[in-house]
Amino acid sequence: MSAPAESRQRILDRIRAATQPVAKDASELADAYAALPRTYVRRGTLSEEACIELMIERLREYDAEVVECTVAELPVTIAAQLTASGKHTFVAPEGLPAEWLADGFDWKIDRNLATAEIELAEGVVTAASCGVADSGTIVLHHSPTEGRRVITLLPDWHLCILRASQVVETLPDYFDRCQRLPALATYISGPSATADIEMTRIKGVHGPRFLHVILVRDAIRFNDEH
Amino acid sequence: MSQAAAIHPVLDPVLAPPFPQAALPVLRNPQLRKNVAHAIDVIQAKRARLVAEKTDWQELRAAASAIRTHALENLGAYLEEFETRCTAAGGTVHWAADADEARRIVLDLLREENASDVIKIKTMTSAEIQLNPHLEAAGVNVFETDLAEIILQLGEEEPSHIVVPALHINRSQVREIFARRMGLKDLSDDPKALTAAARTYLRQKFLSIPTAISGANFLIAETGGVSVVESEGNGRMCLTLPRTMITLAGIEKVLPRFKDLEVMLQVLARSATGERMNPYTSLWTGVTPGDGPQRFHVILLDNGRSSILSKPKQRQTLKCIRCAACMNACPVYRQTGGHAYGSVYPGPIGAILTPQLMEMHHAQSLPFASSLCGACYEVCPVKINIPEVLLELRSQVVNQERKDFGRFVDPMYMGLRIANLLFSRAWLFHTSQLLGRIGLGFFTRKDGWIHSLPSVGSKWTQTRDLRGLPKQTFHGWWAARGPQPSPMPSREAK
Repeated sequence: MSAPAESRQRILDRIRAATQPVAKDASELADAYAALPRTYVRRGTLSEEACIELMIERLREYDAEVVECTVAELPVTIAAQLTASGKHTFVAPEGLPAEWLADGFDWKIDRNLATAEIELAEGVVTAASCGVADSGTIVLHHSPTEGRRVITLLPDWHLCILRASQVVETLPDYFDRCQRLPALATYISGPSATADIEMTRIKGVHGPRFLHVILVRDAIRFNDEH
Repeated sequence: MSQAAAIHPVLDPVLAPPFPQAALPVLRNPQLRKNVAHAIDVIQAKRARLVAEKTDWQELRAAASAIRTHALENLGAYLEEFETRCTAAGGTVHWAADADEARRIVLDLLREENASDVIKIKTMTSAEIQLNPHLEAAGVNVFETDLAEIILQLGEEEPSHIVVPALHINRSQVREIFARRMGLKDLSDDPKALTAAARTYLRQKFLSIPTAISGANFLIAETGGVSVVESEGNGRMCLTLPRTMITLAGIEKVLPRFKDLEVMLQVLARSATGERMNPYTSLWTGVTPGDGPQRFHVILLDNGRSSILSKPKQRQTLKCIRCAACMNACPVYRQTGGHAYGSVYPGPIGAILTPQLMEMHHAQSLPFASSLCGACYEVCPVKINIPEVLLELRSQVVNQERKDFGRFVDPMYMGLRIANLLFSRAWLFHTSQLLGRIGLGFFTRKDGWIHSLPSVGSKWTQTRDLRGLPKQTFHGWWAARGPQPSPMPSREAK
């Protein structure tokens, strides 16, 4: 087929003609990009403690349930959350630490689980890549501890383990820390919602309706692992 | 039948009536106006609150504007970079010069997939090319999955806003549509119940239909990634569960770098829905083995965009990130709603985008559907100077009409020609003033007002009175006053 290639060339020719005279080579283009104004707030100014408090406040505004614990208390805290949920069947990503898989529950470890099987699970437990306090955003890069996208989508109940060292204040703080760019990412800011009917905010349309966060008070500040 | 359903607007700029005519059904429908005003008031208040808390809002706007301008100035390079990266990551990039070609590519891909059903994430670009009716005509069942889009699809309604497309329909109208089309007789009109009905209606479709179509909020040149911004999770369903994803995106959607999202996401959520961040933002790059669709196609659509790009004053139109802040702020949109614009892109951005996408062959009334108050420019997160583009387009429309012979029977054109003649010659101006004073004197009542005029003049006096001309003109008064002592000390007095 020759037509598609023709369209490509035709569109690019039209664009090139329209944007004359901007025949930049790669380094000129990079210089022009580097010169763009970026005078907005890049670095947060809150203390570590205030930043974590803000993250918790924002998550609670979204009706997420947040509990805090130390690194040592984490397995016990996970078990307590699972018990309190009254649910039994949970999906876990393949890389989730074994000590997080509390006894007494039915765990489905995601080694390419069928969609139907994930749909039947009542909840999911994952780690996260980052938390952005300013907007209460949880960032998933879908690494082995965060799992495939589908497992944090279908189950109605999501327990997310976020370390204090992963929490940054502003969105630019997060982007600065992304040394390696993620091929997949999901930014979650509160539960799924709609305001399509008379601008009335309704929670829980298609995504998980319940978000629980365990904030682990570890000592190390965020350093990019993903 | 509901009142909203009684009006069937035409959203094809080729066929739609001119704006003043298309606006009439809404202006005569108090329910519709109430629905629109309510929705807009809510979004405006939320946006204002969240913009006010952002101390660096103007700096973010400046950066967003600069990034978009830079991307457009170097569009060819960034599109090629996107294509290379996306292809390397396992995606397939297609180029569509116009709507027809884009529809053909989609249909060919669906045939390859043997797809009889397709689920869709809300995409304005697909509405622009009227994709759904073409797919339906080819025997493909299209299922919209955004709540507002379901309301429109099941109710056979047209979108009237680009972010909340069903804002002109209220809860009882939604209840009526869902009850009728989903067979739920006992459905209440509580938005919670209506939302739950949509969730149930779609769940099985998400799990079983293997082909999806989406738009894109951003294409990222650096990584070849695509980003979709949403609230409900229907987007995540469509871009995670199916086997095949087809993304339709305008060529202008590209951002140079991944980190540009740190600006765009901050301004988009606040401007569009008055949130610090929308509930879900998804980013994917080509195909990831084992996770999400294993076949991924991007269709890059021109459809008039490269022609807009070639006009320096108008190019800024393409900076748009479809947040709809301009229509929420617009006093004209507030009164007329979206259908009057005769396009899937209503409001101030629609008033400049639609005629340009039509290469000024249609929708010429739209650049005049504005009071030029500038509210749209003030709220625009990427600083599109919409009034400037409106004026530019108005001058183009007038220049087109100048070549049209019919102008000689147009009373407005003739009136302006005569005014031009009178105002450019002092003696003609004074004579016409004199004649006007004498003439209008016959119609001026004792109270100094003209209550009715004959013939063409009655068009004015039907709805308002006209002040009678004063006995003396300003020129006459100035001359009659004679020499006056200067209040300022003159040079000679020093």
